[in-house]
Amino acid sequence: MQLRHVSTNLRQGLRRNMSMHAAVILTLFVSLTLAGIGVMLSKQAELTADVIGSELQVTVTLCIPDEAAFPQCTGEVTAEQEAVILDTIDKSPEVRDVEEVPREKGLQDLIDRGVVTEDQVEGPDPLITAENLPRKLRITLEEPDEYDGVISAIEDLDGVREVVPASELVGPIFTTINVLRYSAWGAAAVLVLAAVMLVANTIRLTALARRKEIEIMRLVGASRIFIALPFLLEAIFNAVVGVALTAGALAAFTQFGVIDGIKARFSGLPFVGWDAYGFAMLVVVVAGPLLTVLPTLLLTRKYLKY
Amino acid sequence: MIRFEKTTVSYPGPGKPALNQVSIDVEKGEFVFLVGASGSGKSTALRLVLRELRPTTGRVYVAGKEINRLATWKVPRLRRQIGTVFQDFRLLQGKTVAENVAFALQVTGRSGRDIRATVPKTLELVGLADKAGRMPDELSGGEQQRVAIARAMVNEPMILVADEPTGNLDPTTSVGILKLFDRINQNGTTVLMATHDHGVVDQMRKRVVELDHGSVVRDEATGVYGFQH
Repeated sequence: MQLRHVSTNLRQGLRRNMSMHAAVILTLFVSLTLAGIGVMLSKQAELTADVIGSELQVTVTLCIPDEAAFPQCTGEVTAEQEAVILDTIDKSPEVRDVEEVPREKGLQDLIDRGVVTEDQVEGPDPLITAENLPRKLRITLEEPDEYDGVISAIEDLDGVREVVPASELVGPIFTTINVLRYSAWGAAAVLVLAAVMLVANTIRLTALARRKEIEIMRLVGASRIFIALPFLLEAIFNAVVGVALTAGALAAFTQFGVIDGIKARFSGLPFVGWDAYGFAMLVVVVAGPLLTVLPTLLLTRKYLKY
Repeated sequence: MIRFEKTTVSYPGPGKPALNQVSIDVEKGEFVFLVGASGSGKSTALRLVLRELRPTTGRVYVAGKEINRLATWKVPRLRRQIGTVFQDFRLLQGKTVAENVAFALQVTGRSGRDIRATVPKTLELVGLADKAGRMPDELSGGEQQRVAIARAMVNEPMILVADEPTGNLDPTTSVGILKLFDRINQNGTTVLMATHDHGVVDQMRKRVVELDHGSVVRDEATGVYGFQH
C-alpha cells in the first residue's frame, strides 16, 4: 500500500509539474554534458603531456649510429658523452629533474600520436622497433619559459642529436585545451546553479500545491522520510534521465567529434577516446544525483516543515 | 495523559508570552474544554500537545513523553497517538470519504488488508458507513466534520485534540458532533477541545480550563463557558 501510495504520488508529481521537471532535466543534461566535456579535456591535457611532454619539459634525443645529418653524432652516444650531458643538465639552475624515457614508451608514444600503427610495429617484419629508436632524456624545468640556458649548454655537446622544448610544440595545444576546458567548466557551473535553483523552485511549488495533504500527513504521524519520499524520487528520476541524456551526448561527442572527427583529421597528436569517456561518465553518474538529491534533502526540510 | 508544568511559550518579538507559567494536568480518559477569548493561548496549548511547538520554559508531557526532550524522528510516532480535528475539516477534496480516512493509515505504513478492515468500522463509528464513496463536496458541514473525526480516530489514538470543531456548524449539528466526541471519550479516549461555543460547553458539563492572556484563570471539574456567579 505504501509503495502504491508513493508511486501514485510520484506519477502525479511528475505530471503536475511536467514543464518544471523538463526544465530541470534539460538544464542538468546541458550542465553535465559540459562538465563531462571538461573532464575529457582534462584527460586530453594529461594525455598530451604524457605523450608529447608538458610545457615544463624539454626532450633531449641522444645519438644513434649512422646519423650523418647531425654533426655532433659520430656514432651512438658513448657512456662518457652521456655522463658529460647528464652532468651539464644537473648543474643547470633551470632544471628541476631529469629522467630517461624508456624506448618502449617512445614507441608507444609514436602509436598514440598516430605516426605508426600497432600493426606496423608488430609481427615478424616490423617497420620499426623500440631498439631502432634513439634514447631520450626528459628534463623537467623549474619554470616553463626558462630553458634557454640549459638548451644552449647541451645542444652542441657530443652525443646530443636534438634538443626540443615541449612548450614550442604543446604550448598552443595546452592554451587551446585550457580555454575550452575552463569555458566548459564555467558554463557548467552556471548551469548547475540554474539546475539547483530550478529544483528549489519545483519543490516550493509542489509543496505549495500539496500543502494540505502534507499538513495532514504530518498531523497523522507520517514519517519525515515518507513525506519527503515523493520529492526524493522525483529528484532521482530527474537525475537518471539527465545522466542518460548526458551519456548519449558524450558518447556521440566521443565517437563523431573526437574519433571520427579530429582524430581522423589530425595525425601526429594523441587524442582521448572511450577511456576518457568512461572516466567522464563516472564523474557525471556521481554528480548528477548529487546535484538533484542534495538540494532536495535540504529544501524539503525547509519547505515541508516536518 | 497531558501535563503542562509551568509552561511558558514566547514568540519572537516584543509582547507578552502566548502562554505564561501554565500548569494543567489532564488525566487519561478525561474530557477537557479549553476556553478563552481569541489570543488567550488555546491554539498555542494545542500546538504544544502536537509538538508543533516547544515550550520556551517549563515542561509539557504528552502520553508519558516530555515533548521538549523528544527527538525529532520520534515525533511522528507521538502524533500517531493523537487524533486532530480542526474547524475547517481539512479534507482532501480529490478523495472520497473512505479514501480520506484511509489516507491516515496509508501514510503511516498500514497494510492494505488492515486498511480495508479498519476504514468501514471507523466510518460506522461516526455514522457515515453509507457515504464511504461520496466526495467531500457532496456532504454537509456536519458530515464533513464526521469524516475528519473518523480520520483522526482511525489510528485509534489515545488522545483526541480538537480546535474549534463546531466553529463552522449550526447549533443542531454541533450537538450531534459533541455527542460523537462524548461517545469517543466514553470509549476511553482523552479529549482536549478548544472552543468558543458557549452552548456546547454549557450543555456537556465537563471539565473547563479557561485561559486569559496566556494564563489559566479557571479550572473547574464540571464547568460552563463563563464564570459562574
